[in-house]
Amino acid sequence: MTALRPLVQVLRQVCGTVPGALGFAIVLVVLGAAIFAPWVATHDPDRLDIMNRFAAPSAAHWLGTDHLGRDLYSRLVHGASIAMAVALSAIAAALTAGTLLGILAAWMPPRGEAAVLILFDVISSFPSLVLALAIVAVFGPSTFMVVVIAGITLTPHFGRVARAQVLTLRSAPFLEAERILGAGLPRIVFRHILPNIMGPLIVLASMDIPVVITIEAGLSFLGLGVRPPLASWGVLIQDGYQYLSDSWVPVVVSSAALAVATLGFTLFGEALRDAVDPRIRQER
Amino acid sequence: MTAPLALFDRASVVFGRARALDGVTLALPRGAITGLVGESGSGKTTLCRALLGLTPLSEGSVAFDGTDLRTHLAGGAKAFRRRVQMLLQDAVASLSPRMTIGRTLEEPLHIHGIDLVEGRARLAAILRRLGLPADIAGKFPHQISGGQARRVGVARALVMRPELIVADEPTAGLDVSVQGELLNLLLDLQRELGLTYLLVSHNLNVVRRITDRTAVMYLGQIVEEAPTAPLFRRPAHPYTTALLSTNPSLHAAQRRGRIVLQGEIPSMLAPPPGCRFHTRCPVAQSRCMRDAPALKEAEPGRRVRCHFPFSLPLPS
Amino acid sequence: MTALLVSIRGLTLEARTARGTARILSDIDLDIGRGRILGIVGESGSGKSSLASCLLRLLPANVTRLDGVVDFAGTNLLALDEPAMAAWRGTRIAMIFQDPMTALNPLFTIGTHLVDVIRRRTPGLPRRDALTRAEAMLERVAIADPAQRLASYPHELSGGMRQRVMIAMALLAGPELLLADEPTTALDATVEAQIVALLEELRRDIDGSIVFISHHLGLVAQLCDDICVMYGGTVVETGPVAEVLAAPRHPYTRALLACEIDQDDSGRLISIAGEVPDPIARPPGCVFAPRCDRAEPRCRSEAPALRVVAPDRRSACHFAETLA
Repeated sequence: MTALRPLVQVLRQVCGTVPGALGFAIVLVVLGAAIFAPWVATHDPDRLDIMNRFAAPSAAHWLGTDHLGRDLYSRLVHGASIAMAVALSAIAAALTAGTLLGILAAWMPPRGEAAVLILFDVISSFPSLVLALAIVAVFGPSTFMVVVIAGITLTPHFGRVARAQVLTLRSAPFLEAERILGAGLPRIVFRHILPNIMGPLIVLASMDIPVVITIEAGLSFLGLGVRPPLASWGVLIQDGYQYLSDSWVPVVVSSAALAVATLGFTLFGEALRDAVDPRIRQER
Repeated sequence: MTAPLALFDRASVVFGRARALDGVTLALPRGAITGLVGESGSGKTTLCRALLGLTPLSEGSVAFDGTDLRTHLAGGAKAFRRRVQMLLQDAVASLSPRMTIGRTLEEPLHIHGIDLVEGRARLAAILRRLGLPADIAGKFPHQISGGQARRVGVARALVMRPELIVADEPTAGLDVSVQGELLNLLLDLQRELGLTYLLVSHNLNVVRRITDRTAVMYLGQIVEEAPTAPLFRRPAHPYTTALLSTNPSLHAAQRRGRIVLQGEIPSMLAPPPGCRFHTRCPVAQSRCMRDAPALKEAEPGRRVRCHFPFSLPLPS
Repeated sequence: MTALLVSIRGLTLEARTARGTARILSDIDLDIGRGRILGIVGESGSGKSSLASCLLRLLPANVTRLDGVVDFAGTNLLALDEPAMAAWRGTRIAMIFQDPMTALNPLFTIGTHLVDVIRRRTPGLPRRDALTRAEAMLERVAIADPAQRLASYPHELSGGMRQRVMIAMALLAGPELLLADEPTTALDATVEAQIVALLEELRRDIDGSIVFISHHLGLVAQLCDDICVMYGGTVVETGPVAEVLAAPRHPYTRALLACEIDQDDSGRLISIAGEVPDPIARPPGCVFAPRCDRAEPRCRSEAPALRVVAPDRRSACHFAETLA
């Protein structure tokens, strides 16, 4: 229970501002849709109904249907679970790899540190689209590849922050105290350093979720990511785009979903950053 | 006289071009409190870190209980860590900020695989002994006072039943109204457990009051070392004299004249030739600019690094 | 009694914190005589630095209440508007901080800092003339190679030299009131001695009054004329330094003196049991009563006023007379 108290406190602070509360609400809605997609959806997202293509929004089809007569609302809801699944696994991978590399870099002798930093620079300077093309050319497009591409692209974000955090901590008296008590390096890293650098990294993670969603949508739109008929938001936008002359509803609705989710996670991430940063917190 | 618990033998630590510790020979007698005074950059901290094996020596040696430190440190050093503990200067910052005090106090038990049931019983006894409230275990470091943080640090060190405690500025940042309590505690523990202390402090009143011997450092070297009472009564090295004279008394009747040294403490990177103190010494002679004095016995039990010991008396 | 420069009456300061409203200063009455050096002593949380902030009116944003009168030579500082107050800072009131590094802009040379101060006092003075004056002032605060130092940046100076620069800036401003907040605490003993010697030497040249805030009683005893002892956001005792230290009229002052380790003591060291009062939940009655060994029932219910107990001396204790 005591572990939850700071979390509740931070969330209360996040909701204390209008943008923070709005962001948190959107995040809850998107997460809810993603987790409970089978129950929240009104139709099977993949069931075709050619007779009913481009149906206008109605009581039966809340947001209408697409070019194959599939229920757009249900496809959006299932798109949310794909977006979340991709985003969370990519972030988890980048967070783990980045944090470990960052801690390693801060602890290594200068030459090893420089090598890790150069690796980060190479990844960051490499256009993620070119990376995606290269990976897809070898392995073919799939949802898993989207996770891999987004994970690699974001690893330097977490790595740099983790390294900077460790550098400010490295000479902290409480770490010195641990050494004097006789603690070994693994204990110092996992019990004392990690808990103290996780705050900024988690904030960064929440702010990177929309980045992954847009990467996924973008790659899927280009046909390099999630493959139809799976209902990813990028696939939805692409489908809608192809039949724009028949109906504007699908493309607008799916783009709006992407935009609102991105905005929500960004607002939430920024509010989280402010709530966790003690300097900003004190000024309130 | 029994063998000292720790012995520095011409120990030096070189960082790049700076000799942070320069040929220090010092014995820490068992069961005694040795005080270490000196200004910033004098090498006090480096000496402490060298004693704990946190900073390797460049030359010379440190022996603990008759065995070279390198032998103690080989293979994990856990046994050595149990015997030598340190109280860090910034007591609050020496506690892990996201751990409760209770978990911080149990760290040594986990690290050294001490039986938790026995260890917790030991901890409870120590907390009672230190007068810490039982509910402190559930608090975080920023929720307790500076004085309590000091005592938590002492408790964490004592669980392992160390023989030597290095206390770096134990009263720094403490209000006068509580510093006495902490010093009494350190003194009591010394008597009850036969502890040996190395006490670093810039507070001369504290050093005079609780230490048995005092070593004075200047630019990485020990310039004077003697039993505390005679050293404070009649300092032999001009630097000691100047340092002691800066300590203002509350009472006009006891207030002495003050020796104000000219100039700044020279850089460790370019220490003056000859005696390192000659640039600021009020009684320097031409010989001091050429010959570096050795640390030698000026009277029984007192070693001084000066060609002309006792030449600068305390002003009356 | 000398003429007064500053007369503080009923100064109360409250601030909002995460736990509730904290009373930082409570009903402070304090006089600062012209040309006198007043030492303010007290432990952490006593409010001594907040009092200095009130004199400069540099208060944090979470202040919710600021009452009372700070009469500075006939002007109530608390009633001035912000531009008028800003014009007072650095001209009529100057301050020396514990850490000069935070008060000096790392991007400007020492010369620029000093010229800025001179030009605030005499606008339109050519830079060359101002620099000459600045150099003379550096010489007066005993900085070696003053001409060279004018071109130095703050980080190139030692802590002692930076504090000398701060003193030079304060002297150039020629203030009527100089606030020095723990000006030697961050310095080494021999450097502290140099700064104290400098302050002693300069005090004859300074026309104005000095407020010297310190936790170091010995230093206050040596340097100051008057003393003000603070505890828990209140003034508990004021008077001439020598008299107060020789015969304190408040149990807190007395206990504080007993805690000092002075020459030739022996036996156990003395401390004051208990904790400093929580500014959010202050005890009713006397703030010191929970830690006072002479407290009586009356002390726990009725807050003693700071009252005259002897010529030039005030104490906030119901039993000040029986302490003598």
